[in-house]
Amino acid sequence: MTQTVALLRSRAQEEAGRFPALLARAEQLAGNILLGEHGRRRSGMGDDFWQYRPMRPGDSLRWVDWRRSAKGDDQFVREREWQVAQSVQLWVDPGASLRFNSTKDLPTKADRARLIALATAVLLIRGGERVGLTGWDLPPRRGETQVLRLAEMLSQEGDADYSEPEARGIIPNARALFVSDFLSDLAPIEAALTKAADRNVRGVLLQVLDPSEESFPFQGRTIFESVGKSLAHETLKAGELRDRYLQRLSERKDRLEALCRLTGWQFHCHHTDQSAQSALLWLYRALDGGHG
Amino acid sequence: MTLFGVLGFTTPWLLLSLIALPILWVILRAVPPAPVRRMFPGVVLLLGLKDDDQVTDRTPWWLLLLRLLAMAAVIIGLSGPILNPEPEQEAAGDAPLLVVMDASWASAYDWRARIEALDGLLAKAGRDARPVGILRLSNPELVQFSSADVLRSRLTGLQPEPWEPGSATASAAIAALPDGDFDTYWFSDSLAREERDGLLRLFETRGTVQVFESPRAVLALGPATLSEGQLHLTLHRLRPGPEVEVSLAGHGKDPAGNPAVLFQSPVTFVQDALSAETKLALPAELRARISRFEITGSRSAGAVTLPDDSLRRREVALIAGREGREGLQLLDPLHYLFKALAPTADLLNGSLDEVLLANPDAIVLADVATLSPGEEEKVLEWLDKGGLLLRFAGPRLAASDVSRTSEDPLMPVRLRAGGRTVGGAMSWGEPKTLAPFAEDSPFAGLAITDEITVNSQVMAQPDPALAERVIAQLSDGTPLVTRKTVGQGQIVLVHVTANAEWSTLPLSGLFVQMLERLAVSSSTAVEDSAALEGTIWQPVSVLDGFGILRDGETLPGVDGMALSSDPLGLELRPGLYQGEERSLARNVISAEPDLQPVVWPDHISVEGLSRPQERPLGGWLLGAAIALLLADVLASLALSGRLIGARAVASLIFLAALPFDVQAQTPDEQIAIDATSEVVFAHVLTGDAKLDELAGAAMRGLSDILYYRTSVEPAKPMAVDLEQDELAFFPFLYWPISPDQPIPSDAAYIKLNSYLRSGGMILFDTRDADISGFGSATPEGRKLQQIAARLDIPPLEPIPEDHVLTRTFYLLQDFPGRFAGREVWVEAAPPDAELVEGMPFRNLNDNVTPVVIGGNDWASAWAVDANGAPLTRMARSFTGERQREIAYRFGVNLVMHVLTGNYKSDQVHVPALLDRLGQ
Repeated sequence: MTQTVALLRSRAQEEAGRFPALLARAEQLAGNILLGEHGRRRSGMGDDFWQYRPMRPGDSLRWVDWRRSAKGDDQFVREREWQVAQSVQLWVDPGASLRFNSTKDLPTKADRARLIALATAVLLIRGGERVGLTGWDLPPRRGETQVLRLAEMLSQEGDADYSEPEARGIIPNARALFVSDFLSDLAPIEAALTKAADRNVRGVLLQVLDPSEESFPFQGRTIFESVGKSLAHETLKAGELRDRYLQRLSERKDRLEALCRLTGWQFHCHHTDQSAQSALLWLYRALDGGHG
Repeated sequence: MTLFGVLGFTTPWLLLSLIALPILWVILRAVPPAPVRRMFPGVVLLLGLKDDDQVTDRTPWWLLLLRLLAMAAVIIGLSGPILNPEPEQEAAGDAPLLVVMDASWASAYDWRARIEALDGLLAKAGRDARPVGILRLSNPELVQFSSADVLRSRLTGLQPEPWEPGSATASAAIAALPDGDFDTYWFSDSLAREERDGLLRLFETRGTVQVFESPRAVLALGPATLSEGQLHLTLHRLRPGPEVEVSLAGHGKDPAGNPAVLFQSPVTFVQDALSAETKLALPAELRARISRFEITGSRSAGAVTLPDDSLRRREVALIAGREGREGLQLLDPLHYLFKALAPTADLLNGSLDEVLLANPDAIVLADVATLSPGEEEKVLEWLDKGGLLLRFAGPRLAASDVSRTSEDPLMPVRLRAGGRTVGGAMSWGEPKTLAPFAEDSPFAGLAITDEITVNSQVMAQPDPALAERVIAQLSDGTPLVTRKTVGQGQIVLVHVTANAEWSTLPLSGLFVQMLERLAVSSSTAVEDSAALEGTIWQPVSVLDGFGILRDGETLPGVDGMALSSDPLGLELRPGLYQGEERSLARNVISAEPDLQPVVWPDHISVEGLSRPQERPLGGWLLGAAIALLLADVLASLALSGRLIGARAVASLIFLAALPFDVQAQTPDEQIAIDATSEVVFAHVLTGDAKLDELAGAAMRGLSDILYYRTSVEPAKPMAVDLEQDELAFFPFLYWPISPDQPIPSDAAYIKLNSYLRSGGMILFDTRDADISGFGSATPEGRKLQQIAARLDIPPLEPIPEDHVLTRTFYLLQDFPGRFAGREVWVEAAPPDAELVEGMPFRNLNDNVTPVVIGGNDWASAWAVDANGAPLTRMARSFTGERQREIAYRFGVNLVMHVLTGNYKSDQVHVPALLDRLGQ
């Protein structure tokens, strides 16, 4: 019993040691992007100036902008832009297949996926949005503590080789971000996206791949194994499989993209040898650009 | 040995194992390579994909072929294949074989081919178990027959000699012959000689004689001669032939001292001609540097000729006390010397330190007064070895204290203070003329014209030893040229300047003749052989048979007569010989060589180099097998997909093998780069920490002021340690004097003097103007005197009102620091500077004054802290600040003077300056 607790504690410390680093990197990544609230492009409650309009009957004298009005005979009211907060829900694949890097110089796919997801969360929370995870564990909330909770939840790892997207608990009309390598069975992904689309949730699929998965630089007699060693495939001439493998990969991407078009989502493929910054920028645009 | 055409095998039965190769084929092709396990998440996408070709798990046919070829190469290589094996001699005698070699310079051209032929001969003799002896006719040693294999291992030690066998060596060869019968194989060098017939007859009485002769052309290069300024070189060849062009090259050292090819010129043998001559008009300077001529591509002592003194010129170093005033070429102290010496001598320029390294024949010091102790020591050392130091007087020597109270080691006589001027506007008498030269003077016999007059001279102090040291005097008996000997060398002082300021001597032809008599510029006349009698000549460098120069210092000296007439041999090797004053070259080929091809009697069989050499192939085949196996390793790796790692390892090895040539910058280099990339001022470290800090702050303050007010934008100032740091980077040094700073070392003085001579400026500050003045000496003042005593400083004077320092940037007449006291001293104006009517200023020195000396404690006035606030307080509020401002202005003027020189003396600015001065 004591042993179990000790083990748990040491692992917890290990885990806890990991996510401040993740958090720091995510914050640093997010710090490079300037942002503001999501303006709704019409007047309403908000901080930003929207327009001056002549005072109409019924307007309170408190609303008059005296500085503007003093320049002429008419009185003007300053209107502000209507700003609302959104809910964004994340799903980051906890599957073992993401814990893979082809060379030591590259981060694992899981590492990159978490980093991007958390940086996006940091950005969104700073922008005043509510961010949470899909499922029931962490509903969308605002505030800096939510970032900590997210970092903690994202650091958890699953055992299964390939895992299915979690589409439960998605709030209607919210937004979603799914990060995975999307190498698992397509049917659950399809189901999750359809379900989300039914609830008028739009979002983004971010596929994170290792460069070796794109180039397949293998030769000779090889036994390929999945990370969890649940799957294996032996070939005598790996080089000959290359073309067919690449064809399958691009087919899969095409299907994902088609699925996204159908449901109004957006799809992006990111490689771990590219900079996380570019993926983050794209994500920010994709999540931000659809509003209004 | 089994023969298959041109191919033979020593162990042919081993070839039977080639039958096993097909079996290997079957075994090898059945083994598939081991699989690699890889982690790969994309395996999902691979599931269900089938390999196209099931057969490919077997080794591909080309890899098999590669391995079989490797095996075959091993088998064949071990069976001892030989290309062009020596066919079995019909009736090869079993008598001992004597190999006779001429081994002269003429054999050296194709020595390698001869050795290869000899190797083949020995190999055959080894197979026949014949004992073999070798006799070199050029250097005969007692012949002992031994096993051919033992001799084969010694073949590399066989070298040709740079001379021909003569009558002496022939008799020695006969004495060296063993008893009993033997067959003779003679490697001839194709040159006809008298002794050859006798030897041939002797060999024929003992056994059969076979002769080997190379068809290669024998070329020879005669000694170089000089006539009418042109080099004459003659090439000879042994046999007439078609028109041939050969290339002639001169080797020597380039100006940087590195071996180089100095010229190359083609020479053409006309058809059927036996000799070809070429004339080369080379610059004398280039000619003097040539150390040998050779026929390009010929490795023989006969194709090399060495030049001796008849082609050499003397090296003379010219050094002036201070570099000549810009643009005034005819007043340059070295101008006339340069003109007189340039045609006949090699002139060296540079500092005394540098030229002493070149060990010149003579050094000329024109108006150099003081040498630092270090330099003096080196010069004396050089004089002891036979140098000639020629000194000229001048204003600086006259003004200095050199050789005044006691005789300077580097002066032939003591000098009286000041010298004398005759025939000028302010002096009595007429300009003096020269008296006829005495009989024992080196100038005896030179004609004197009345045109030569002397206006000024330095005077020798009357002395008991003076009379014997005078070698030329004026008509009134005062010495003009004095001389004394030091060790093997001598010091000559000419009591006038080397330019035409003091006398017209340098303008006359007599000047050139006197220089020649002093052997400053002498062209060596060729001595006749009678003069060589009784002299001993030491070999400096000698030629070996291939024409390569070897050190000859360890060889015994050679008598002069023998050197000129004896034939070359073991005792008299060709090379360069050094006598007392000059060197002689003894070359392999004389001026009139008698080259005749040898004619062998008809019954002697003469063999050439035409037959292809026996060549064992086993090593090559085994090497090829290893290469094939390496290729197999690579191919196997490539097939199993593991070559990527191997490639990475290979590139790593390659990278590790690359030399790291990234230049590591030492701190010294960094300082040099910092100091030279921008204008940097420096102060001299005195050892007094507080004073050094103040001086650093002062330099910072001055740099800041310059930065704000002028276009001079100095970088951060530096502190220099005279003992360690290089001074040449700094335009200006500030040297505060503290009473207890150490006197710089000799090396530091050499650096300081060269810094002052090359245009640097030092501002000496005794910082004692508050208490000194009117002759009262302070500790600082005494220290300054001690320090400056050994510096090469020109005559000084208090700064005159029209000095350029008063107007380089601001118009100033006072130069205060913290004290507005004493005078400031700068280099004195030339005595002939006069105020021209209508001009506000005299035309003063063209140069920057090398030193400025004062005691106004400028450092305190200039010093600022890191924030730019003044560090020290000046006197009396506003007046004090005004004084600080003037001090800064002096600093600005000083730096402008350092950087722009006499720019403000330029008359172009006179109208504007007049206007501002209100005149």
